[in-house]
This record gives sequence, structure tokens and C-alpha cells, in this order.
Amino acid sequence: MWQQVELALSQSAHRVLFKLASFLPALLALFLAVLILTLAGVALSALLRRVLNFIKFDERITRNQGSNVSDWTPSHSPTVLLARTAFWSCVVLGFFIGVSAFDAAYPGDPQISLVVLPYLTHSVGAIILLIAGTVVARFLARSVLIGAVNAKLQYARFLSLGVKWLVLVLTAAMVLDHLQIGGTVVELAFGILFGGIVLTLALAVGLGSRDIVSRSLERNSDLIPDPLAGSPEYKTTPVAETLRHF
Amino acid sequence: MGSTQTNVDLASPTNISQRRMLVSLTPQAAEALEITLDNLAVAFSGQTVLVLTPDQLPSLSQDSPLRFLPYTSAATSTVAWVHTAADYLNIYKLLQEHQAAACLMLGGESHTLPTEALKALAKATTNSDLAVARYNLGSREGLVNSAILYPITRALFAARPRFPLAIDIGVSPRMAERLAAEALRLTSANQNEALIWPVAAAATANYSITEIDAGDRILPAPAGHDLNALLAQIAGSLFQDVDAKATYWQRARSLPSGRFALPPNSQIESPSDITPMLDAFQLAYTNLHEIWSLVLPPNSLLGLKRLSALPTASFRMPDSLWARIIYDFILAYRLRTINRGHLLGALTPLYLAWVASHLLLIGNGTPPEKHIEELAAVFETEKPYLVSRWRWPDRFNP
Repeated sequence: MWQQVELALSQSAHRVLFKLASFLPALLALFLAVLILTLAGVALSALLRRVLNFIKFDERITRNQGSNVSDWTPSHSPTVLLARTAFWSCVVLGFFIGVSAFDAAYPGDPQISLVVLPYLTHSVGAIILLIAGTVVARFLARSVLIGAVNAKLQYARFLSLGVKWLVLVLTAAMVLDHLQIGGTVVELAFGILFGGIVLTLALAVGLGSRDIVSRSLERNSDLIPDPLAGSPEYKTTPVAETLRHF
Repeated sequence: MGSTQTNVDLASPTNISQRRMLVSLTPQAAEALEITLDNLAVAFSGQTVLVLTPDQLPSLSQDSPLRFLPYTSAATSTVAWVHTAADYLNIYKLLQEHQAAACLMLGGESHTLPTEALKALAKATTNSDLAVARYNLGSREGLVNSAILYPITRALFAARPRFPLAIDIGVSPRMAERLAAEALRLTSANQNEALIWPVAAAATANYSITEIDAGDRILPAPAGHDLNALLAQIAGSLFQDVDAKATYWQRARSLPSGRFALPPNSQIESPSDITPMLDAFQLAYTNLHEIWSLVLPPNSLLGLKRLSALPTASFRMPDSLWARIIYDFILAYRLRTINRGHLLGALTPLYLAWVASHLLLIGNGTPPEKHIEELAAVFETEKPYLVSRWRWPDRFNP
């Protein structure tokens, strides 16, 4: 009996070691592919940056477009954006090649790339969605905040936060949907959250704008000829001061 | 060396009778056009003046010195109150075509421009490349010019003209060529309505600038009345110009001598209601602090904090604080610290705070022109701050 246990142990150890021995080259191939493509990405990015700087790409883009790409990510010039895109494309390509190499080198499960590759693609898409959503949310939040402050709306910050969270919730729902996580729960939660934020904003803006609307209505009613207007003691309208900024 | 600058003496005899002058007018009403043409006929009697106007031409008497040129406006401009890139380009082409000695570009409401001012502008073009008009405005007029345009132009380009975004200017052919070259860069990028800064262009080319006293004149009103949009357009254009000419203004330059005497306070105006402007500033202080902190250093933020705590009666924005704010915004515009539209939007409440402070100061008896001159001098004093931050933006700045 002891011999059988020993045999079972040695066989399982042999199997595990064999699997590990066949797994390690596959893993090494994956890492090598990622490393090589990352290095290629660094080189390509540097080359691209030099070439674009040489041909004054940023200036051309700024000249040819009224609102340029950098309006969305202001601290990064178009050159930097392109260089980074090239770099990350290489890294992602490295992952794809690495997974394929892993699949080829690992005899255990030949179908692994069929499962991992589509999910990897979805993950890349989800990351891009997340980044774009965050950038758009920040851009819109600032636009609304500055616009509302300059329009002298007291609830400017609240409005800005509302818009920001609307976009972020929408982004989160899209990312989860893209990754196929949560299923209908995400859709339901998104609907409730989105509707809730819109309703809250509508109520807040509606209640906050009561004064503006009533002032506007009063102003309109002032335009209607008043039969009492002829009376000297009826109303003393202050003359609007004239400030000319330009 | 900075551009030379002189003030024209209207009493001296003019020497322009032999020169053929081109005068460009903007679209205006028929009555206004008639007055303008009458003024031109008086100002240039005995000479030949080529007049460009997109309006319907009235009939002229036989002895009139005016000759109309067929002129079709290139495009319907939405920026009719200042000269745009397309205007400068058109003028240069026509100046070349008709071999004129100089060109006067008159802005909207030119019928309110006195005849003496027309003569002085024309005379100034005989001995300088750029003649710029200076107007007597009320203390509540041209505030953006007083707060931003004039101090920056004076400090960075060492040029004294009080109205750098001039409505009425006279240009020599080489100045017109220079302006057309700048305009071409913009029009080729489909920015026909972009603004050109003639004073800065003349200063960088080392051309001579003359400022003439145009007296009282009604300035044309911008088409839109949205302060935010207009301020963003004007300040954005100036900041871009400052960025483009950085190699010029980073060198130390001395301001040319010669200045008009400060105009006397002809009329005492009633104190202004600054409460809405202060409310706008307070609201912005509570909401835009986060955005300002991306642009302004801690010292300026502290200054704004102190400002927000001041009572209305003693509200006073120090000139050095305003100068540094503007310089930091110029730097942030260059570095794209935040989106440029956001940046210029965040400037509006700060500008309103300056206006409130300025109005309060002149309400307390300080002559407006004295305060603006002091402000411009502070901008000059603070110029090393901009140069330092421009060269080393990442250096620690308290």
C-alpha cells in the first residue's frame, strides 16, 4: 500500500513538474513578447516624437483647427498624445503576441488564446472607454462650473458635480457592459442612478432658478404699458449704469 | 531697442499734400457715411484720397478730393468693431495695387472722429510706420483695455499707445506689409476674423509708432454683449500674440519717452454700483478656487483669499496682485495648464474684481488715468516675474 501511495505521489509530482516545465517556456515567451514590443514601443514613440517635433506637427494642428485635440487633454500636446498612443499600441500588441506565443508553447490547453484574446480586446476597449469617460467628465464638469459661475448661478458647483457624475456613471455602466460583468444588474443600477441624478438636478435647478424665472417674468411684465405709469410717485426706476468693457 | 514714439503736434504745418492716401471705412449707415465723407473732404482738401467703403456710394461734388474705389467686402464679418486679419490682408493688396503712400483704417462710428484727428493720423504716417489714435473716454469705458491690453503692451513691448487694439490707425506701406504677413498666417488657417495687434507687430519689427490725440469719439460697440465670450476672444488673442513674440519681449527694453498729459477729470460721475461685480467674484471664489489653484501660485491665492474677506467699502485689489494674476494666466495659456477656454472663462470674475476695485478707487477721488498709469508701471516692475516663470515654469514659485 505504501508503494502505491509513493507511486501516486511521484506520478503527481512528475505531472506537476512536467506541466510547470512546459508552462514556464510559454510564460517566458509571453514576457519576452511583451518586453520586446514595449522596447519597440519606446523606440517608436521617441522616433515619432522627434519626427513630429521636426515637422512642427503641433503648430500645424493648432493652425488648422479652431478647437484642437489638446482642448480635451490640455496639458498634453498632439505630439505627446500620438507618441503615447503608439507606445501603448505596441504594449497591447505585445500582449496579443505573448498570449498567442503562450498558447503555442503551452501544450496543456490549446484553446487558451480563443478565450483570453477576445477578453483582452474587451479589456483594452474598456480601459479606453474609462479614460475617455474620465476626460470628458472632467472637461464637461469644468465647462459647466465656469459657465454657471459666470452666469452667476448660486448652485454652480452642484450643477457641475451632477454633470460630472452623470458622465462617470454612464462611463462605468459602459465599461462593465463592455467587460460583460454584472449583466442586467448593471443596466438596472445604471437606469436607477442615471434617472436619480437627472431628477435631482432637475429639481435643484428648478428650485434654484425660481428667482431668475420670477425676475424674468417681472421684467417682461414691466415692458407691458402700465396705466399707472403716468403717476409721478408711482415708480422711480433707477437708471442702469453703463459700463463699457470694450 | 524699442520702437520710437512721438506725439503729433497738430499746430505744425502738414506735409502730406503730395501723397496719395488710401482710406478704408467699415460698413455704416448712410447718414453716418455722409458725415464721414464730409469730414474726410475737409481733412484732405486739395489732395486725392482713395476711399474704400463697402456701402452704397453717395454722389460727390466735382471738386471733392475723394475718389471711390470699387470694393467688395471679402466676407461678412461678425467682428465688425475691430479690424480683423482679413481686413489687413485686403488693405495691403489695395495699397499695393493703387500705389498709395499710406493708408488710414477707420473703425466703426468713424463719423464721430474729429477732422483734426484725421489730419493728425495722416500726418503721422509721413514720419512713422504706425499711427495710433488715443481717445478721451469716460472712466467707465474701455475697461478691458485699461486693465489688460494697455498694461501688457506697455510692459512687454515697451510701447506707450494707450489703445493697443486701435480702432483707427494709419499705416505705412511697409507696416501694412508686415501686418499682412501676420494676417496671411491666420487667414491661411481659415481664421479670417482673428485679431491682429498692430502695436506689438510694429514694436517687434522695430518700426516707429506715433500716438495721436483723437479727442472724443464714440467707440463702436461689439456685436455680442456677452462679456465672457468677448473677454475670452480679446484676451485669448493677446495671450497668443504674447506667446508668439516671446523671443522679443524677454529681453529688457526701455520705454520710449513722450507721453500725453493726463486728461483732467472733466466730469464727476456718480459712484458706481459695484455690488454685482463683487457678488460675481465672491461666487467665483467659493467655486473656482480649485481651478485658480491650477494656474495661480499660493501667494496669489492668499491675496485672493484676503480680497474675498474685505468689506465692500474697502475692497481694493493691489496692482501687483492683478499684474501677477495676468502674468500667471498668460503662462498657463502658453503651457495649456488647463483647457484654454476654461482658463479664459476663469479670468472673467477676477477681471470683474479688478473693475470693482478700480471703480471704487476712482469713486474715492483718484483720477482714473492716474490709477491706470500706476497699474501699467506695476506691470513693468513685475515683468521679471513673467520672464522668470516663462523660462523656468517648473521652478518652485511660492
